[in-house]
Amino acid sequence: MANYLAQFQSIKSACDHIVISVEDVSDLWPTVKSAFEKRLPFKTASLNNKTRNPVLVEKLPAEFILTTDARLRSRFPQEQLLFWFREPYASIVLVTCEILAGDVLDDLDEFKSILKPRLKLIVQNDEREWFIVFVSKAHPNNDQATKMAKKVYAKLEVDFSSKKRERCCKLDIHGPEPNFWEDLESKIIESIRNTLDRRVQFYEDEIRKLSEQRFMPIWNFCNFFILKESLAFMFEMAHLHEDALREYDELELCYLETVKNMTGKQREFGGVEHGDEEAALLNFGNKALTQIVQDDSFREFEFRQYLFACQSKLLFKLNRPFEVAARGYTFIISFSKSLTEHENILPFCMREVWIITACLALINETSSNYNEGLAASDIEKEFYRLLGDLYSLCRVKFMRLAYIIGYGSDMERSPVNSASLSMLPWPKPSVWPSVPPDASSELILQATPRVKHFGIQRKPLPLEPSVLLREANRRRASLSAGNLFEMFDGRSAIDGSGSDATLRMPSLNKVQTIAMSRTNSSPGFDGSIDRPMRLAEIFVASEHALRQTISNPNLWKSLSSVEEFEQKYLELTKGAADNYHRSWWKRHGVVLDGEIAAVFFKHGNFDLAANSYEKVCALYSGEGWQDLLAEVLPNLAECQKILNDLAGYLSSCVRLLSLEKGLFSIKERQAFQSEVVSIAHSEMKHPVPLDVSSLITFSGNPGPPLVLCDGDPGILSVTVWSGFPDDITLDSLSLTLTATYNADEGAKALKSSTATVLKPGRNTITVDLPPQKPGSYVLGVLTGQIGHLRFRSHSFSKVGPADSDDFMSYEKPTRPILKVFNPRPLVDLAAATSSPLLINEAQWIGIIVRPIDYSLKGAILHIDTGPGLKIEESHVIEMESYIDVSQCAADIASSNSAQQNGCSLADNKDFERLSLDDGRIQLPDWASNVTSILWIPVCAINNNLARGSSTVNPQRQSIVDGMRTIALKLEFGVSHNQIFDRHSLFPSLFQSFRYHFRTIAVHFGDPFHVSTRVADKCNGDTLLLQVILHSEVKATLTIFDAWLDLQDGFVHTGKSDGRPISGFFPLVISPTSRAGILFSICLGDTTAEVEDAAVQPDSILNIRYGICGDRTAGAHPPVNSESNGSEGSRQDLIFRSALVLQRPVLDPSLAVGFLPFPSDGLRVGQHVNMKWRVERLKEFDQNKDSQCNNEVLYEVNANSDNWMIAGRKRGHVSLPTDQGSRIVISVLCVPLVAGYVRPPQLGLPDIDQANISCNPPGPHLICVLPPAQSSSFCIPA
Amino acid sequence: MAATACFIIVSRNDIPIYEAEVGSATKREDAAQLHQFILHAALDIVQDLAWTTSAMFLKAIDRFNDLVVSVYVTAGHILYICELSSISGDSVDDYGGRGAGGLMIVNSGSCMILLNPLYLPGSRIASSHFDTKVRALARKYL
Repeated sequence: MANYLAQFQSIKSACDHIVISVEDVSDLWPTVKSAFEKRLPFKTASLNNKTRNPVLVEKLPAEFILTTDARLRSRFPQEQLLFWFREPYASIVLVTCEILAGDVLDDLDEFKSILKPRLKLIVQNDEREWFIVFVSKAHPNNDQATKMAKKVYAKLEVDFSSKKRERCCKLDIHGPEPNFWEDLESKIIESIRNTLDRRVQFYEDEIRKLSEQRFMPIWNFCNFFILKESLAFMFEMAHLHEDALREYDELELCYLETVKNMTGKQREFGGVEHGDEEAALLNFGNKALTQIVQDDSFREFEFRQYLFACQSKLLFKLNRPFEVAARGYTFIISFSKSLTEHENILPFCMREVWIITACLALINETSSNYNEGLAASDIEKEFYRLLGDLYSLCRVKFMRLAYIIGYGSDMERSPVNSASLSMLPWPKPSVWPSVPPDASSELILQATPRVKHFGIQRKPLPLEPSVLLREANRRRASLSAGNLFEMFDGRSAIDGSGSDATLRMPSLNKVQTIAMSRTNSSPGFDGSIDRPMRLAEIFVASEHALRQTISNPNLWKSLSSVEEFEQKYLELTKGAADNYHRSWWKRHGVVLDGEIAAVFFKHGNFDLAANSYEKVCALYSGEGWQDLLAEVLPNLAECQKILNDLAGYLSSCVRLLSLEKGLFSIKERQAFQSEVVSIAHSEMKHPVPLDVSSLITFSGNPGPPLVLCDGDPGILSVTVWSGFPDDITLDSLSLTLTATYNADEGAKALKSSTATVLKPGRNTITVDLPPQKPGSYVLGVLTGQIGHLRFRSHSFSKVGPADSDDFMSYEKPTRPILKVFNPRPLVDLAAATSSPLLINEAQWIGIIVRPIDYSLKGAILHIDTGPGLKIEESHVIEMESYIDVSQCAADIASSNSAQQNGCSLADNKDFERLSLDDGRIQLPDWASNVTSILWIPVCAINNNLARGSSTVNPQRQSIVDGMRTIALKLEFGVSHNQIFDRHSLFPSLFQSFRYHFRTIAVHFGDPFHVSTRVADKCNGDTLLLQVILHSEVKATLTIFDAWLDLQDGFVHTGKSDGRPISGFFPLVISPTSRAGILFSICLGDTTAEVEDAAVQPDSILNIRYGICGDRTAGAHPPVNSESNGSEGSRQDLIFRSALVLQRPVLDPSLAVGFLPFPSDGLRVGQHVNMKWRVERLKEFDQNKDSQCNNEVLYEVNANSDNWMIAGRKRGHVSLPTDQGSRIVISVLCVPLVAGYVRPPQLGLPDIDQANISCNPPGPHLICVLPPAQSSSFCIPA
Repeated sequence: MAATACFIIVSRNDIPIYEAEVGSATKREDAAQLHQFILHAALDIVQDLAWTTSAMFLKAIDRFNDLVVSVYVTAGHILYICELSSISGDSVDDYGGRGAGGLMIVNSGSCMILLNPLYLPGSRIASSHFDTKVRALARKYL
């Protein structure tokens, strides 16, 4: 059967659609052919697939072929069976009855006698699906003919159609037959479907039979293949691609199962012919099947490619290019394994070349068949990913080829290249090609490894799995591998890992010497052929061998020169990168971008290179893969340097420095730093900002934050970590402070303009802190300058990128570094005593200076006394520590004697005498933190004489009179640093002070308040005047003497000096107690000395007294006495008080008497007649008042709230001037309120009070009853 | 017994937080960078694959010549990536079961680290105790 292969293939290529045979009984075909063929291809056809499920096929192609056609005639029956798929799928029998049109009767007879038997004969072949098309040529106007045609057709239907199946249809050539074509089409489709089903059944049966025998020795794969492919081909013809694909898949499985894995039979692999290395996995017509047949099967190399090509053809037809790519990739991988197995029989590097061409073919084919947006997005992603994989596979193999022929030095030794190539085994030909005799091996190029920027010396990454030299020489037939192996081990030890860093040997001599030494040690190798090849020779030999292998001129061209290689390399890398990017495999894509960048870099295309490198670096640093970053970042930095992108270059340097320390040697790190520093100090057009957050980090010192009071400057200490390998000098440094709870408040910068040197690692720097607003502060940004370089650091954690959300959300809450309290009182100034001090005497004023948790170091107190107060400048000011009020009180109680000598200081008290300097006192240091009291000697001056009061005229002196004020200004501050004066434009040295202003009121007063009263009116003019002394101070007063200088009109009784009996003195008056002194005086002559009266209108009380008191309590002996310090000496003070004495009025001239009310009392609302009786007591002196001698002016005064007065309130009444004349004044009044109220009073305004004697003498009260209950308002009239 | 293995823990943001090279093979000089490169590239595959399966242990998701990469993905999307070379003796399938077990134990250890309030998520795991534990587990399971 295998003999039919050629025929099978030609049939397949000749016929690729369904055939419909036309049995033209009545020579009708030429007339209807065009109309029939117009229906092709069938728009839709419902066919059954292999599992007998209906499938709708669109645009099913078919061909009408007459049965008389040669294609259908010349077939042998066996062929027919074998290639049944090409047989017609439907048979149309065309008949007409035109010839019978003339005679009706004859027509029917004719039909019965001639046509019917003939048709019966045609259709008796039951193998075929047939149906009859009756063509009526009857003209529609020819009724008879039409009728006849109908009759014949009816007859036809009766004879050939069955109930089950309509096998007839009628075509009216001249008449409209709209349903015919649909009818015809459905009949054809039905026939095709039935035929297809039957044939599928047949093939399946056959295939089943064969496959049951597949493990038997007689098994012939070719037969199976023909059957299987026939079936597949039939499906393909019927456009059932899905089923066809399944057949091919099964075929492949069966092949792998039966042929490939069948051990025992040594089969030829194939692939040794020239041109085989060009992958034909998408070209099924590459080789005829007859060419690849071998015994009863096919050669694997060609056949598997053939199968894949068929599969991919179907997949493309199914519009599934992504599946082609997916299957293709797996196919390439698995096929390359097969190639590896047979590598020893295949041409040199055949496998690599095949993979390259296969990948490229697959990429081209799939992407040209792929329309974007065709598939779902995830499939699309997968597709691009596959393309990327294909590209990178192709790229790796291409690089391997290029390496073998010596382009290794032009390859970037990057991680990706190294990872791909260093684990990829060398090609293992049975014999490594040797140098052809005509080849010259002089193409020695000097290849020096590129020295990286910053002098980074890194061992170049390997691009080879093992030393090529060893591998190549080992695989040479004429050499004994073992010996060489050992020797090369020695050599590789010299070369380090034996990597071919200088791929083309720098000099031939060197290689020669090695060869020489080898020759010496092993005399067997001295022949020129057997001599181990040098590396250069290996390259040349490989190149020659490859030229033999590669038939594709384009591929060879790509390997012909370094430039061509790089172009192809770039193309492949770009393709891989683009496709990975499209498939969202950013890591794969970006890595390849880096490779592209390397090529750009090499060609001086630094702009593009920098762009790509930046992408790579961004990815690696974003994800924190530092080892990888360390590989790429120096390249980026170099690009940036060449491009003069200072900002980028500096930031790259900083990033290099902030990488893990182990990744670069200390020297390299120092090189990075010196780059930064030298650029910073070089001329820069524009100052470059630089973020060094990863390199210089800072934080506050551990421990509690610095605490300051509002408005105070301070010194902030900050820990700064430097990641620089060496000391680095920062020309200036500033830190911003950010208030934690006040976001809108801008951050404030703290500057330290002096240069700071940061050691590597931890540093502590201090910054002057100007006064800040209250609140708590965290560190914001560190900025500074290195040369012209402005850097800033945000102090994020060093371990990761700053912008990742993980860090932000888990960021430790920043610790406040500074707390500034709200304004609060820092110091309190208060008067020590509240009780009055002696006026007009030198007294100590105590001022308590109480610092409230705040140091008063260096404080200065300005004292400004108010009016009426002056400081005793001559005297020193005392300062002592102040213990406590209660303790102080205890002191007073316990040691009275100590108080006496004014030395009430406890042992632990500090004491100091200070002097006043221009109203300022510098507070001593010991007083900076303790409450202290400042004693200032002052004297309140009051020139007014104290005035006594009398019981008749009780007049107290106002407290305000004795009030004096002292304005105090305390100047203090916690530090006196250089600060910026806000009011001036230039910074200046300025002492910042706090000021505390306070005005203290001090109460001064006389020691006594004097009041007088007449104790007794004795006979005649003698009076006993009682002088009551109220002690006004908190001190014990001792009266030594008292005398009274009387005013005119009064004289001391008995012409004495006015002193009381001295035996009572000294009289001690305790604080706030009273004492009384009696003076006996009598009225003197008033008219005697008129002039003197003007001089002395008041009497003066003189008291000589002493005072004994503590200054902490209040009044105390005047300052001078204390300063004398003489024990027991007594200072007598004089107190003078003016007393007003009035001569008593003894002879009133008028008497006013209030006449009693009626007995029933007063009621509210009830009017009452008030009566006063005015009586002249003595005869009116006519000399004195001549005008109103007999007229008296009266006035009734009443509270209008209480009284309503009817009648005249004021008027003149006539009163005779005779002694004893009297008159009654009556006024009608109505009381308005109940209770005790003052009655209206009668006054006589014209007459001096002293001349009126009243009865009752003073104001009195009368009772007014509530109004009587009245019911008159309630009772209706 | 795998000749060499590189084990790496990658945090949610694809940041490697722990790296260990375990195994008996002599270390190649370029190994760190090579392993990093391979493991980093494997993240591309994990990102696609992790969401398509409910399994936590993704066995042999990537092969790089003779290096096989397997990943254990935790619910918090922390990846434990293990890269083995030359699995001789057992098949990858065989390794899968043991590897998953080993990685689960590592997971329990690293959970303790991650739960430590003083550990800043995303930062490197520097615990020497953890390191010792991982290496011991590697000896046991690989």
